[in-house]
Amino acid sequence: RPLFPLPSKTKNEEKKPIQTFRPYNIAHRGSNGEIPEETAAAYMRAIEEGADFIESDILASKDGALICFHDVTLDDTTDVAKRKEFANRRRTYEVEWFNVTGWFVVDFTLEELKTLRVKQRYSFRDQQYNGMFSIITFEEFISIALDADRTVGIYPEIKDPVFINKHVKWADGKKFEDKFVDTLLKYGYKGQYMSENWLKQPLFIQSFAPTSIVHVSDFIDSPKVFLIDDISVRTQDTNQSYWEITSDDYLAYISKYVVGLGPWKDTIVPASGNYLMPPSDLVARAHAHNLQVHPYTYRNENQFLHFNFFQDPYNEYDFWINTVGVDGLFTDFTGTLHRYQELTSPHRKDETANSLLVKISQMISAYEGL
Amino acid sequence: RPLVGGGGAWENRAPLQTSRPFNIAHRGSNGELPEETAAAYARAIDEGADFIEADIEATKDGHLVCFHDTTLDGTTDVADHPEFAGRRRTLEVQWANVTGYFVTDFTLVELKTLRAKQRWDFRDKSHNGVSPIITFDEFIDVALNAKRVVGIYPEMKNPVFMNKHVQWADGKKYEDKFIATLKKYGYGGKYMSPAWRARPVFVQSFAPTSLVRAAGLTDSPLVFLVDDVTVRTEDTNQPYDEITSGEHLDYMKRYVVGIGPWKDTVVPPTKDNRLATPSDLVAMAHARGLQVHPYTYRNENKFLHFDFRQDPYAEYDYWINDVGIDGLFTDFPASLRRFQEWTAKNKD
Repeated sequence: RPLFPLPSKTKNEEKKPIQTFRPYNIAHRGSNGEIPEETAAAYMRAIEEGADFIESDILASKDGALICFHDVTLDDTTDVAKRKEFANRRRTYEVEWFNVTGWFVVDFTLEELKTLRVKQRYSFRDQQYNGMFSIITFEEFISIALDADRTVGIYPEIKDPVFINKHVKWADGKKFEDKFVDTLLKYGYKGQYMSENWLKQPLFIQSFAPTSIVHVSDFIDSPKVFLIDDISVRTQDTNQSYWEITSDDYLAYISKYVVGLGPWKDTIVPASGNYLMPPSDLVARAHAHNLQVHPYTYRNENQFLHFNFFQDPYNEYDFWINTVGVDGLFTDFTGTLHRYQELTSPHRKDETANSLLVKISQMISAYEGL
Repeated sequence: RPLVGGGGAWENRAPLQTSRPFNIAHRGSNGELPEETAAAYARAIDEGADFIEADIEATKDGHLVCFHDTTLDGTTDVADHPEFAGRRRTLEVQWANVTGYFVTDFTLVELKTLRAKQRWDFRDKSHNGVSPIITFDEFIDVALNAKRVVGIYPEMKNPVFMNKHVQWADGKKYEDKFIATLKKYGYGGKYMSPAWRARPVFVQSFAPTSLVRAAGLTDSPLVFLVDDVTVRTEDTNQPYDEITSGEHLDYMKRYVVGIGPWKDTVVPPTKDNRLATPSDLVAMAHARGLQVHPYTYRNENKFLHFDFRQDPYAEYDYWINDVGIDGLFTDFPASLRRFQEWTAKNKD
């Protein structure tokens, strides 16, 4: 980054602030429903579409650079399999107690990773941007948010820290979590949730690993979110079960370090035969501990929607925001969530005298039939 | 629970909205319940559809039923009935040989023993095997018994095939029986007339000669359906380019109030599932005072072009606000209703 502000960036004081009156619209891996995930283009699209936060998974390369990439292997979302020069890099490692075979991020230098091109993960999404974009670094990700023309938060994840710390060593003896925090501090991220500093540069640090969250709490006071996987998954670092980490005792403990939980949505409201079952009490208990709930991941496609929502993603948002009462939503389709929120709970300053009159007349018309 | 409408005596029912494009429940709310069943139509009415659409065919004994295909195979449990196993045969339908259990080979009593099922794999099948096929009269009853004014949008379906395989004792044709049923229930009156507003109806067909015949029997508004660019009309064997030409629209406008084209002919897609340049069909129709009611809008991503980002509301937005159509046939009337309600509020 330049040491002095460029002319086009001297207007930071005039940036539109982040909204805090409705649940957060968190662009999961950027607008990856449209553009290959975790690329600069996916994040810029998400910002255009109204995301409050752009979310990223931070891993480390062989030479210790922090990058934005979701999987520990490159197979599913890059063209690595087509690259003959890397054919012999395919290996098998243990990842969270399972053997995984593929091309591992930690076996490639940043320079090598930059030669790869990202592709769309799902066959039913738009493939036209395949092969166009590179993997970006954590710093490039931060720059995208800071360079936006309004205040956009970042929501980086300390991803697979056990695996990363096992396979990547930094010369100064630092751990992955330390490097992660150093990068944030370098770009001026600081301040408790809703503090003035936080509102200027909004940030949530997320992880599935409770010890990583506890570790970084000593180095940065920014808000943290404890991610919770499916009920069959144990924490990668402390080997705790879903039932243990969602118990009241544990919520009381973890609430000393985090401002919220990020559970998989189908654990909050389980489904059977693709129909919703009665909701669990996780949201109520989290809120009782003053913890926010930011479930993942909302997707528009009908194969991800339970039948109660009648193939309509807006129905799903309506249920989760108005019935369940969540505080943020990780979505692959930021534009859809933004449209839903603008239609149902628009920014208050958009109100005009005429819109108030329309509301009044709508209230009156509800009684005209009587 | 109903999204719209409330109580009130029949004569005080809330009127049909005419201020925005019509929400036409295509085969009822068939995105949720098996198509063309009473339950699918009741659901569509609860969800706010302006019109409920049905395809009318004839049974062996001359009754009119609501059924989309000429064969029962795709949406009923006929294959599970051993007593009908011998009925499977091959007939010519619109110049192609089709094999299956044909509606015209079954009496109404026999059809009533069948149960409807969801056509698509990816939709909710929990109501399979529950609902029977309904008659045209029963379909009309569903609309007339609604708590608000709901229009009907019946189609004269496969008239060439129907007239070939079903004979009525009084020498009447399928179209005559169709119109007689509407009149029996009081449907009549020109578009937007008080009689029409009390009982809104559009009669639709792909067959221009059926529409011309119907125009001689009723003054209710008619809509000319237009199929894909590769399909010729079943009765007059005309190609797409001819029936959408200025000359043909000039001819048809004497009989119809609108056209109902397949949406991918109005705005064709590219081969990689993006929108290409829109045709001028809407402009040509509107220049002649004809409405445009394209079919069929579906929420599922496999039916959405990539420009809409897997978002069905983005598709509605494009078609209503950019293309400027006058009605939409949708499998998901609740979604269209919600979109129209929410965007209407935001327009101030």
